[in-house]
Formats: sequence, C-alpha cells, structure tokens
Amino acid sequence: MEPPNLYPVKLYVYDLSKGLARRLSPIMLGEGAGGGREGAGTAGRGKQLEGIWHTSIVVHKDEFFFGSGGISSCPPGGTLLGPPDSVVDVGSTEVTEELFLEYLSSLGESLFRSEAYNLFEHNCNTFTNEVAQFLTGRKIPSYITDLPSEILSTPFGQALRPLLDSIQIQPPGGSPVGRPNGQS
Amino acid sequence: MAENGESSGPPRPSRGPAAAQGPASAPAEPKIIKVTVKTPKEKEEFAVPENSSVQQFKEAISKRFKSQTDQLVLIFAGKILKDQDTLIQHGIHDGLTVHLVIKSQNRPQGQSTQPSNAAGTNTTSASTPRSNSTSISTNSNPFGLGSLGGLAGLSSLGLSSTNFSELQNQMQQQLLSSPEMMIQIMENPFVQSMLSNPDLMRQLIMANPQMQQLIQRNPEISHLLNNPDIMRQTLEIARNPAMMQEMMRNQDLALSNLESIPGGYNALRRMYTDIQEPMLNAAQEQFGGNPFASVGSSSSSGEGTQPSRTENRDPLPNPWAPPPATQSSATTSTTTSSGSGSGSSSNSATGNTVAAANYVASIFSTPGMQSLLQQITENPQLIQNMLSAPYMRSMMQSLSQNPDLAAQMMLNSPVFTANPQLQEQMRPQLPAFLQQMQNPDTLSAMSNPRAMQALMQIQQGLQTLATEAPGLIPSFTPGVGVGVLGTAIGPVGPVTPIGPIGPIVPFTPIGPIGPIGPTGPAGPGSTGSGGPPGPTVSSSTPNETTSPTSESGPNQQFIQQMVQALAGANPPQLPNPEVRFQQQLEQLNAMGFLNREANLQALIATGGDINAAIERLLGSQPS
Repeated sequence: MEPPNLYPVKLYVYDLSKGLARRLSPIMLGEGAGGGREGAGTAGRGKQLEGIWHTSIVVHKDEFFFGSGGISSCPPGGTLLGPPDSVVDVGSTEVTEELFLEYLSSLGESLFRSEAYNLFEHNCNTFTNEVAQFLTGRKIPSYITDLPSEILSTPFGQALRPLLDSIQIQPPGGSPVGRPNGQS
Repeated sequence: MAENGESSGPPRPSRGPAAAQGPASAPAEPKIIKVTVKTPKEKEEFAVPENSSVQQFKEAISKRFKSQTDQLVLIFAGKILKDQDTLIQHGIHDGLTVHLVIKSQNRPQGQSTQPSNAAGTNTTSASTPRSNSTSISTNSNPFGLGSLGGLAGLSSLGLSSTNFSELQNQMQQQLLSSPEMMIQIMENPFVQSMLSNPDLMRQLIMANPQMQQLIQRNPEISHLLNNPDIMRQTLEIARNPAMMQEMMRNQDLALSNLESIPGGYNALRRMYTDIQEPMLNAAQEQFGGNPFASVGSSSSSGEGTQPSRTENRDPLPNPWAPPPATQSSATTSTTTSSGSGSGSSSNSATGNTVAAANYVASIFSTPGMQSLLQQITENPQLIQNMLSAPYMRSMMQSLSQNPDLAAQMMLNSPVFTANPQLQEQMRPQLPAFLQQMQNPDTLSAMSNPRAMQALMQIQQGLQTLATEAPGLIPSFTPGVGVGVLGTAIGPVGPVTPIGPIGPIVPFTPIGPIGPIGPTGPAGPGSTGSGGPPGPTVSSSTPNETTSPTSESGPNQQFIQQMVQALAGANPPQLPNPEVRFQQQLEQLNAMGFLNREANLQALIATGGDINAAIERLLGSQPS
C-alpha cells in the first residue's frame, strides 16, 4: 500500500510588539512572580516577556490563523505582519487539505467563531494549539500559551485587563475560511 | 483538555502500522480503555477493548454520532486511522484523545449531519436573502437601492474584516434576510443620523460606480440626487422597512393599473427599460442579477399583448396609511426629472412617462378614492396614523419648504398639460396650501371622522347642485375641479395624501364658502374650500380630467382671494426663503439671472443648490 502523504506542519510565530515587549516588559510589568525568563540582563525587577506572540499554522502551503474575524487563511507570511519572527516545526500530518478544510470549517462554526475571540482566553494561540494537536498530536510551545496568564499575573495586567480584553487582533491580509464550496 | 499527542512522542514515520508503535503490551484479555473522541463541535468518551480495530471503533462512534462509518475520519497524532489498523498500532491508550472529522455524503456540502445543521441554516439563510433582497431592493425609489447598499456598507464598516467586499456581501444578505436585524440597524441612532444626512447619503450613492454610470446615462437621476428634499423623504421612508414593503406593494398595484391603459403598457415598459432596469441591474449585480431581466425581455417580445384585464379595482388594503408614495416616488422621479430637465420640453420618453404615470393618478382616484373615503370615515385612526407618521411630517415639511417641487408634481398631470394657464394660476397658491397642511388644527380636524363625513356630504350636495342647477354655481366647470382634484388626489408625489384632506379640512372653518366647492380645489386644494367636493367629484367624473377648462376671470380671482385669506390666517412657518438664499440670489443676480422670482423658486426647488438652480432657470427660460 502506498504510504500516505505526510505534510509538514509549521508554526509561524510573530512578535506583535516587534521587540518592544522584550525591552519594556521588565519596567512596565512591575514585580513578576518568577522573574525574567531568560534571566540575563533583567535590569528591572519586573517580569520579562520575550514578546507578544501571535501564531499561525502553516500547512498545505497555506497559513491559517484565528482573529477577531474568525478563522482566516493566507499565503504563508502573507499578513501585514510580514515574515514570521520564528518558525517552529510541529511535525507532519497525514491529514489531507480537503479534510483539513472541512475540519476548519467545522471549527469555525463551533469553537472558533469570530465572536468567540478573546485576547486572553481564546485567542490565536488557542486556535493554533488546537489545530496543531489535531494535525500532529503535539502542542505548541508552552511559552506561547502561557503568555496571557503571565500578563495577568502582574499588577499591570490586572489593572489593564478591561482594556486589554476589548482588544481584538486581526492581522490584515487573510481571507475567511468558510465552507469548502465557497462563501455563503 | 485531554492529552492526546504527548504520549505518542515524536511522530512516527509514515508507515502507520508496523513495528512497535506504542508499548507492545498486548494482554491476553482485552482491556477496556476509555478513549475520548473529539470533533470540532463536541467530545465524547468511548469505552472500547484495547485491541479493537479502527473499524470496530468507528462503528461504535457512528452510533453515537449518528453518522455512517465511511463518513468518519479518525486522526491521531497526525495520522489518519485506517479501518484495518488497530488502536494499539497507533498507540491509542486509555485516556487519550482521538480527533474525528465527519464528512458529509456529497462532498461539496462539506459537513454532514450534525455540522450540516449549522451549514444548512447558513446556506439557506444565504439563499433566501437573495429573494428577499431582490424584492426589497426593487424599490421603485431609486434611492432605496442606494440606501440599502449604503447601509450594508455602513454596518460592515464597523467590522474589522480582512476581506471587505465579501464581508459586505454577507452582511447585506444577512441584513436583508432578517427584518428584525434590519429594524435593529435602522433603530441604531448612529445609522439614523447617517441616514438623515442627505449629503452623506448622496455621497454614498454616488460612490457606487454602477450608479455613476447610471447617472451619466440618465442625468435626471443626478438631479434627483441633488434635491435634498427628495433625499430626505427617501431616507425617511427607507428608515421604516415595513413602509418600504408597503410602498412596493402599492407600486406593484399602481403599475398593474397602469398596464390597463391603452398605450400605458408601452409607456410602462419604456419607463422600465429606460430607468429602472439599468438601476436594478446596477444595484443587483451583487445579489445575483436582475430577476426581472427575463421578465422584461419576455414582455418586450409580447409587446402586442396587452394585459386584457380591466383596471384593478381592488383597493389597496390601506392605500393611504403608508403613503402611496411609491407611485408618488415613481412620479416624483419622473416628474422631477422632467421638471429639472426643462419644463415640458423634456425628452419624449420621460414626458410620456409622466403622462402615463399620472394616468395612474386619475385612475387610482376612482377605485382607490372610493375605498379611501370609506376608510377615512370609518377609521379615524387611519388618518391619525398616517398623519403622525414621521415621514409624513417630513414630507409635508419638505414640500412646504419646496413649493416649487410640489407645484411641479401636481401640475404635471395631464389636466394641466392641456392648460398651462391653469398651471400658472395654481402655482402661487401651492405654498399657501402647503402651509395649511402644517397647521395642527388642520391635522386634528382631518382625523375627525364626523367632520370628514360632513364635508363629504356637502361635497355631494354641491355636486348634485352643479348638475342640477349649474347656473347657481357660476361657471365652475367640473373639469377644473376634477382636474385639479384628479391631480391633487392622485398620488402625485407626496401631495397624494395631502390632496383631498387638505382641501377638506380647511373647508371646515370656511362654511359659507361651501358653494365654491367644485372650484375650491381649483386653488390646488390649498384653500380646501372645495375639499370634500374634491374627492367625490373627481371620483364621479374621472373621465373629465382633461375636459377643457374655461374658468372665468372673476371666479379665479375669487378663489385666489379665498386662498390668500386662508393663507393669511396661517402665519408662515418657514424662514423666509429669500433670507435663506440671500447669498445664492446675489450670485445668480451677478450671473445675469435677473428674474428674482424665478431665481427664488429655482433655489427653493433645489434647496439652495446654485448649479441645479441655474439649470432649472435655463431650462425654463426658453419656454
């Protein structure tokens, strides 16, 4: 029997702050529970965030991500964010493109509707994590998924939570993933 | 979330089965393991023997998820589980999660039973708006299309969509499919404020490239757009979706009436092909084409076959509660277009259209008026509702601010094409008439059914008198009264509801003026001195709409005096247009338009738009 095709699955990681988080987080975030991540050069007493991570899954030569506009797709690196800051290899999957799109449509109607977006609880990384597990069985690196809780554990995060909650991120450049036969 | 991938570690090479995937412990008696099956929508736990095959697993799943086994696609650790594999092969142990995708039978559908419910509603709700949107957007009022498009565009503005046009389409369709949503959006104060800004709406409409093409082909439309009063009316009407539907119903009925006129059918068709079709096409491209395209083409082939039925005598359920402004808007558009074009010398198509459309007035006046009067007397609420509708007020206000427009509309009826003299005489009386309408006393009196009944009786008496003893009523040719009323009553523009009622009410205080009845309405219903005579007279003599009028001088003067007396009783409620347009008047003067009166009228008609006013002036001068 022919071996089923394996499609590589990659995780594109973008730093939305473009380096600012790394620079300013120690100062802004105040006292952190665990101190700096890397430890090196943590001049301030604050917590160190390496970045504000936005992730997307790249498979079948398409990039898929979740934002306030629902699940969207674009050519890899095709959002306004440009090329990713780092790429993580998640693994390989046998799931075909067709099956994957069906799965995504189903997700888009159930768990990842556009109105379900929440910057802290149910964001792009939640989606990426879910999809990665579906495709390969693996999760995405924990420093990405732990980011909201990191922020919320600081007084800064707590204070600004109402404001941050209302933020919705939708990198422009993608098109919604709808029914396989096209839009409504 | 249950762990699924962690224990499987790095993904094995593609050969799913084969050597030691997971721990090779294959106990003699099959252990029952609990495996969680996770779909995009739900999650279920299954207890299966450890050494079962994927096929057996699928069978258990299919029962729970109510699908067929060949619709199920199981994925674990990135691998698609084939039927002949076993769970152990893939390392599926107790407590792990397997992913499931349920395919539907016909692939294009994408999803199957459970997910297809949501999908089905999506597609059906997407397809039904097509029919709804087409019906809603085939508004005789050209701006209905624009405002709808603008609205949908507005609502989608608030969304941060990566794909604007697609989202806009979706929003439009969803919007149009759900009247509740429409209502909600209409009630949004932001939307309302946007709608009330005619300039903004005009810009929105102009921004549509198809509309721009349309405007280039039919310059009258640009004049329509430039007329703020019409825009305002349109927006008011568009604000109320129920109103729009009523309007469309009325329009359909009016058009069907129109068909039965000899020659009317052709005029109708011409009207459609010239104006409506391109607009429908333009605005409905998004909605999937003009549903009436085929209708039009088929009707053009059957040009000779006129609809044989006689005019539709069924009265509209409530011909006046939602103002039959459909016909009015149809006539408004055509009338204003002809008006803004150049007096009566506009192109023959629109001229004929006007004539044809205005035939509707007189025809409508017959059966419609009867039922209308009936309803008026039976249902005082009717009048009150009608009058208290916000758009009515705005219509009246805009009319009163724009007497020239009202004059145009009223006077472009077939009656007056035969008698331009009468036109001129009626023209100055319009403002007074319109001011009357604003009088709250008028409105309250109109809603008094007994008053209306009394007026009608008087009118009938007068009519009898006119036929029995014509000498008594000095040369009041019924034609005049009829003609005037035919137009005043006929749904000529927004004057429609005002027509008979206007005359009726002011009649009340003018008791002794009764005998003037039939001609009273000659003062275009403004004096109302002949109000009640109006409706029944017109209804009884609809065929005399074009009877020659030979009013004697003294009669006309008398009427004018009455009009002025009445007008004087009601203090003008508007800021003096002269003051408003002071600057524009000066500009026109400087340009060489020395006729101050004409300038003023032109400015009033165009709401202060100098360019449009100049066009009006230029158009009217040669005549």
